Amino acid sequence: MKMIHLTIDDKSIIAPEGTNIFQAALDNNIYIPGLCYHPKLSQFGGCRLCYVEVTERKHTRHRFACAHPVSEGMVVKVNTTEVNRHRKTVMEYLLAHHELACPTCNKSGECGLQNIAHELNMSPGRFKTVRMSAPVIRDNPVLELNRNRCILCGRCVSACKEIEGVGAIDFQNRGFKTVIGTAFDRPLDCSFCGGCLAVCPTGAWQDRTLGFSGRPWEFESIPTICPYCSVGCTIVLNTKEGSVRRVVSNDKLGINEGNLCVKGRFGHEFIHSPERIKTPLIKKDGEFQPARWEDAIEMVSDKLKQIMEKHGGNVIGGIGSEKCTNEENYLFQKFCRTVLGTNCIDNISNMKAPFLNGLLYKSVERGFFTDSLKGIENANTLFFFGVDITEAIPVVGCMARKAIQLNSANVVIANPRNIIFKNTAKNDVRLTYSLGSQHILLNAIIKVIIEDKLVDLKKIESSTSNFSSLCSSVQNVSLSNAEQLSGVSLEMIRSAAKLLTKPGNCCIVYGKDVIEDPLGEDTIKTLLDLCALIDVSNHSDIHPGRASIFCSRYHNNSQGVNDMGVVPEFLPGYVDINDAANKEKIEKLWGIKFSGNIVSKNSFNLIDLAKNGNVKSLYVMGADPLTEYPNGNEIRECIKNIEFIVVQDSFMTETAKLADVVFPSSTFAEKEGTYTNTGFTTQRLNRAISPVGNAKTDWEIICDIAKKMGQSFSYREIKEITEEIKKAAPVYSGFSYDRLRRKEFHWPSLLLDKIGSNKYTFFAIRDKSLKVKGEKEFPLVLITGASMNHQGAYSAKSKALVSVAPECFVEINDKDAKDMQIKNGDMVMVESRQGKLKMRSKVTRKSPSGIVFVPDAYVNIPINMLIYQEYTPVKIYTVLDN
Amino acid sequence: MIIPLMKGLALTFKRFINPFTCVTESYPDIRPRLAKRFRGLPELQVEDDGREKCVACGLCAKVCPSQCISIEGAEDEHFRRYPKMYELDSFRCIFCGFCEEACPERAILLGDSFELATDKNSGILDKEKLLESARRKKS
Repeated sequence: MKMIHLTIDDKSIIAPEGTNIFQAALDNNIYIPGLCYHPKLSQFGGCRLCYVEVTERKHTRHRFACAHPVSEGMVVKVNTTEVNRHRKTVMEYLLAHHELACPTCNKSGECGLQNIAHELNMSPGRFKTVRMSAPVIRDNPVLELNRNRCILCGRCVSACKEIEGVGAIDFQNRGFKTVIGTAFDRPLDCSFCGGCLAVCPTGAWQDRTLGFSGRPWEFESIPTICPYCSVGCTIVLNTKEGSVRRVVSNDKLGINEGNLCVKGRFGHEFIHSPERIKTPLIKKDGEFQPARWEDAIEMVSDKLKQIMEKHGGNVIGGIGSEKCTNEENYLFQKFCRTVLGTNCIDNISNMKAPFLNGLLYKSVERGFFTDSLKGIENANTLFFFGVDITEAIPVVGCMARKAIQLNSANVVIANPRNIIFKNTAKNDVRLTYSLGSQHILLNAIIKVIIEDKLVDLKKIESSTSNFSSLCSSVQNVSLSNAEQLSGVSLEMIRSAAKLLTKPGNCCIVYGKDVIEDPLGEDTIKTLLDLCALIDVSNHSDIHPGRASIFCSRYHNNSQGVNDMGVVPEFLPGYVDINDAANKEKIEKLWGIKFSGNIVSKNSFNLIDLAKNGNVKSLYVMGADPLTEYPNGNEIRECIKNIEFIVVQDSFMTETAKLADVVFPSSTFAEKEGTYTNTGFTTQRLNRAISPVGNAKTDWEIICDIAKKMGQSFSYREIKEITEEIKKAAPVYSGFSYDRLRRKEFHWPSLLLDKIGSNKYTFFAIRDKSLKVKGEKEFPLVLITGASMNHQGAYSAKSKALVSVAPECFVEINDKDAKDMQIKNGDMVMVESRQGKLKMRSKVTRKSPSGIVFVPDAYVNIPINMLIYQEYTPVKIYTVLDN
Repeated sequence: MIIPLMKGLALTFKRFINPFTCVTESYPDIRPRLAKRFRGLPELQVEDDGREKCVACGLCAKVCPSQCISIEGAEDEHFRRYPKMYELDSFRCIFCGFCEEACPERAILLGDSFELATDKNSGILDKEKLLESARRKKS
């Protein structure tokens, strides 16, 4: 890119060609007042405040900095008498039309308009003020719009359109009557991401969760990581007197560039929820009694010792947490493996898809990753396979939209449902395949790529191995058969294949619909094959670019819990547990000797063992298997067999209700540590407040119990655990807790040297497909997925999120609904062989005919109670409201 | 030397025979008359409808040099901003009057009460206490 030299206020600066003066000044810490320009958004030029004197090609003229590109040798003066006079006049006009309610306005103290008025030393204007008296719009639970304070800068309109892709608001009317509003003044119906709130320079948009409970100058701002989905956005907690008052975003921090979703921005009220468990609880005669910490810890350690003496350690099971930090999960597996002497540990994500860890590690080893999730912004082709981006990982959707805007990226979306992903891509191919046909669809795409020679086959053949068997396996794929089975037309398959092989970076994101399919393992292997096929970095010098693949995990630390080895087959850092040399290394580090139980013997998982009565005691740290494990009834049966259950959690979850001892653990705002997101980036949490009530952090609880049981877990701070992780887990060997303050850690980057040393071997799996159909009595097929508004107990205890999405719903295709005579909003019963649940119906075209969709994120409607196989047949009928 | 002495004695004698120029305050039997700009304990003011004038903007708490004011704002049923909690530590207050100066709503004024000696351990006044005198004056 060509660099331009220019002078702003006697300071020589260099800026890339095409930058506007405003951005160039901003990058060089030169202040130009302005209210409508925002680096994230397209240029608007509406506020008229960034007036500057520009001398270029020997002409001195006045220009608006945000609308004028830099040019070579340009001289810009920001503060001349003329310029200031103009600015003051503009401010007079703006203030003449602005409600001067600074004492009651929440924005006061961080308001752009207030700051500029203060800087320019504004006095009462010459103009007769026309105060607007429009009523404040409070038609939704999280945002309020006060049009009297709006200066029509248009930032919220652009943010809504460009970043969130929704376009729920726009300008209305013309001239003096111009206001911001929704179409036909209907209530705001959007994703409630709060992007408008974040970019608004005045107090027109307000956060209703704050409710006047603090002023910007009273708050302490602590950046930390969002506890909801697996993207790992940086959020800034504003605290006052030891409580979290609101969440804001910072454009300069983290991978999300200040973009958040509704959960991240408004779902913080659970931290101070009255339903938090605040003291340890011990169950006596079926009732929980509050207890002292010492008593509860003594009871747990005695009981665990008894069980160990009676049956041996391997009858104790441990379930790690996808919500706790890496450090806590590391300590948890160390506690189970050393103190309890059991290898019967697992986490929910691994129980759902035990093959995923190995395949992810393989994809990383092959170099199919980018530096962080942010790499999606550099993509030229985006392939979302079996993942509902908007609902599951909304901020990745924002990144994808940025890629579409900057690189005019193409989008290919394959999903069994017609998912919503609002974007402006020129090519947006939707492959709505029928359930169970995902593998054959992928094979058809590969066949088209190979047959039409869309990639340089010779190069691929030379740089990979087993390519011939891939060719022969796709030979058998009949395209017409694939077309028929998947319900995707051949034309669409061809255009998808063409888009995927276009030069440039290709980003593949797959998710829940792929992973939790019976053919999930094969599909992901085939996806890796596809990745290797279109990864042109090794094959072609003409079209530089590479393929990367991401798995959309469910929780914020689903990746970290697996990295830390809370799985039966791996020690921390994907080290094979059955290898004696590896074990010896860890034994040396931990200073212990493993008992004979520490091996991964068979394919039985924890639940299978519990079903056979081989688990006498269960230790659950920050997980709720009862609502998260796919087969709800099965796990409920298993847990009944267990004698003694210990749960560490912040809320009384379904699992905690069955426990014998519940320890109150602190939430993300009250602890330090690290989370690893779905793009393998490890980021650091910062403690914002001290633990609520008598709660303790999970690692402290584990240390206390271990000490009571006679082992030295003498960690004083998180940093000591981090140092140990560094030594124990090879993939975390470049990890430094102090450095995380400045830069996040990305473990696949450490493997970069190894990449390319060995050839990629194609899996070449023959196409498989499943027939997924309902039964006679239960004609519909139930699928579940993430919800944007909710995720587990945290969101259910946040008032704002509950009022945005109060009820669980079932999405029914409009044709099916018509046949069953169900109207939108009816109360319906969803019934399977296992049970029934009452919820609201949502008649939509999102779900194809024969498929109903229920989000699995509402804890009060545990949809897993109905599920007993991957695609559960259900029936739906209307019931009375109460 | 003798002349100033005589002058002084003359003044003494003048005061002695004229009781209207008496400067001795017979406090606490009679409450002294205070200057107009006397700065006593801050008092919160009330609106005509009996609500507090304060909108919990927090400027008084910010400007207070002895940090004796703490405010917790909230939203009432008409979506108005009001102080859910307004506390003033009378032990810490130095009667500087900055709060009065900063207040955009003239909701806090320095009153005329100065009898603050107490045998209690804490001098924290809550919102109701601070509103008491204004409410009494209104009614």
